[in-house]
Amino acid sequence: MIKFENVTKTYNKTVRAVDDISFEVKGGEIVGFIGPNGSGKTTTMKLLTGIIRADAGKITVNGYNIRKDPIKAKESIGYIADSPDMFLRLKGTEFLELIADIYHVPDELRRERVEKLAETFGLTQALSSPMISYSHGMRQKMMVIAALMHDPPVWILDEPMVGLDPKSAFELKNLMREHAKSGNAVFFSTHVLEVAEKLCDRVIIIKNGKMLYNGTLEELEKKNPDNSLENIFLELTEK
Amino acid sequence: MKMYLRLVKALIAGVEPSNNEKKRNRVFYYVMSVIAIFGIMLPMGFFVGVIMYALTNALFPFGTQENAIELFLHLISAFSFVFGLNVIFTVFYFSGDIENLLPLPLRPYQIIGSKFTAALISESVMEFLVIIAAFAGYIIGSGVPFYSWAIAVIGMLTMPVLPLIYCGIICMLVMFFTRFVKNKDTVNKITGLFTFLLILGIVILISRSGFDTQKLIAAVSTPDNTVIMVMNCIFPQVPFLVRSMSMEGLGILNLVIYIVINVAAVALFMLAAQGLYFGSVTGVGQGSGKKKDASGFISRMKLRPVSVTYFKKELRLLVRTPAYFTNCFMINLMWPVLLYLVFVLQGHTNFLDSFIYGIYSGNEETVLLYILCITAASVLVTAVNCIASSALTREGKHFAFIKYIPVPYITQINVKALLSIIVSGAGMLIYVIAACVWLKTSFNFTAFCCFISLLSVTFATYLGIYMDSVNPKLVWDDELNALRGNYNIFFNMALAIVLEAVICAGAYLLFRFTGLGALMIIIILTSLLMVLTAAAYLLCRYKATKNIDELGM
Repeated sequence: MIKFENVTKTYNKTVRAVDDISFEVKGGEIVGFIGPNGSGKTTTMKLLTGIIRADAGKITVNGYNIRKDPIKAKESIGYIADSPDMFLRLKGTEFLELIADIYHVPDELRRERVEKLAETFGLTQALSSPMISYSHGMRQKMMVIAALMHDPPVWILDEPMVGLDPKSAFELKNLMREHAKSGNAVFFSTHVLEVAEKLCDRVIIIKNGKMLYNGTLEELEKKNPDNSLENIFLELTEK
Repeated sequence: MKMYLRLVKALIAGVEPSNNEKKRNRVFYYVMSVIAIFGIMLPMGFFVGVIMYALTNALFPFGTQENAIELFLHLISAFSFVFGLNVIFTVFYFSGDIENLLPLPLRPYQIIGSKFTAALISESVMEFLVIIAAFAGYIIGSGVPFYSWAIAVIGMLTMPVLPLIYCGIICMLVMFFTRFVKNKDTVNKITGLFTFLLILGIVILISRSGFDTQKLIAAVSTPDNTVIMVMNCIFPQVPFLVRSMSMEGLGILNLVIYIVINVAAVALFMLAAQGLYFGSVTGVGQGSGKKKDASGFISRMKLRPVSVTYFKKELRLLVRTPAYFTNCFMINLMWPVLLYLVFVLQGHTNFLDSFIYGIYSGNEETVLLYILCITAASVLVTAVNCIASSALTREGKHFAFIKYIPVPYITQINVKALLSIIVSGAGMLIYVIAACVWLKTSFNFTAFCCFISLLSVTFATYLGIYMDSVNPKLVWDDELNALRGNYNIFFNMALAIVLEAVICAGAYLLFRFTGLGALMIIIILTSLLMVLTAAAYLLCRYKATKNIDELGM
């Protein structure tokens, strides 16, 4: 579902944010993207969603090349950006209506999904208010609902748990599992190793734009039997 | 002092485009700077200087030559006050940096002092130019001593201080005593509306008083002018600055008094800040938190074409965001009032009479001038309200949204253009139709006037969006900063003015010197505008979309 082939992205001709990275996320998989701050996680997410252009390499989402067929590729993606402060003067309903129209979600389906997702995340009462009055966590929940509303085959989530209360984080994790179970792909970045450990089929560890590891956490632990996951991660990323 | 200077530097950095943004398009900045300096700033400065020189010379025989500069400085102070009110409100109480500044161990006067200085510098650049140009006209016209140039520089830098202090004290008093009004949107919209009503009130008062330019000149030529005396009570520092230039011997004393008044005002302001600011700023919030059951809204959700919903989103954000509402939306109502004021101030002139008669009688030259005025005004209005030239800038830190949604960039540009065309066009058409009805022009002529106005608006809109796409200012902490210190808006305005001046002057010169009839010139003008509009659209379709695609976030 996601193919990232030999992709490179350099900022200001000097900083290599993504350095010749290749990986794949198949349908039915949840893949966690881990790395220290400034390692290139958000840049990779932005390359995947077509926000920025790669200098080299090829990116395919749901079979569509993000450069050659951007609209089709973008229609296949549900994306949660790293900042939820978006269109804050719109009411929750107005924002969701915009998103639903952008992704051509039919009438019945949009009502059903908004009702279900708003209830799941406890936002039903807040939807009629401008988003400027929401807390950070509520705004993040809105971004989650907006990303999931058109039920896309590929979820790309940049730190989706940040700001969520425990119940909402739990619900989101469940939704991610259900989504993958239905044969879709989930690719998300996180700093919380426990989340990756419990949720992911596979993890990709990145540092300074280079991929350090791509595989299951079990394999990683087997290779380092006497170390905790935290120590393994620190050793890998502090080399 | 060190802390104050650091804060001022940090706050100004928040308004100005970042170095990265400047580096991105250095050539573009250089070219546009040249156009802005030679197209707007220097001609405007020259115009003000010449007017002041002429007025000073005209009053010289009466011995009241300083009245002209004194009246001008009062007007500029009043202008600073009226337009500064909304800015100071936003900067003191509703800017995004307040949440970062309040937890720091800073005293209220330090926060207010630095915010005030940053606002003064970023708001007064054009005002500085106008003031120094007026001083130049006065100094040359009156033959005051050479050291007056040094006083003029002091005056240029300090003249907007007192009016903005008035704004600051009013803001703090209002916010302190109306603590229940803690909603940014409400307060900002009320001050915007107040500014509009204040200008409207002044215009109505002037028009009802049977204003006559001759009477004004006669009044200004008398030593004891009532208007100036009243204004001297409001802005008491002005006469001392003027006298410091003209009164030999006592000049220094007057300059000292001028400085003392300003220093005293600043001290009083800082004292007021110390006592009022923290009590009024804490708890200021944005938006309303009223929560209603949304099930009714959800059941009404309906699939619509994406352009329609996207347009609604653009319109809602424009109208609901106070900074955009005032600067992009209300300005469309404001400028005709100001234009009307110019007409009122002109009084009953032969030029206006002959213009009206020319339209009635179908005089070719007058009809051509009328069409050229409509074209120029339409382009200028679209550039001034900056809906188009800030279309991408207004997206700010969520600019990435444009890029990751599955909607072609050109569709999004077209929707943004439509918003500018509708808002600017509606503002223009109301006045074009009103003017045509007043001049009793035929239906076909009125329809043509509307067409050429909309065509000009469309051209200016696509040009504005293209200009913004070259280098949008995406890093800002509150919406007012998206518009303040935004070179794109200023450059777009300069380019629009220069282009329109070239087109209108070219059309008029063609008429005067080639023997072509007005009808032929109007046909050429319309064709040229159509070509330019198509070119601006194509620029957006191919270049602006590419610019958006290449912008990294």
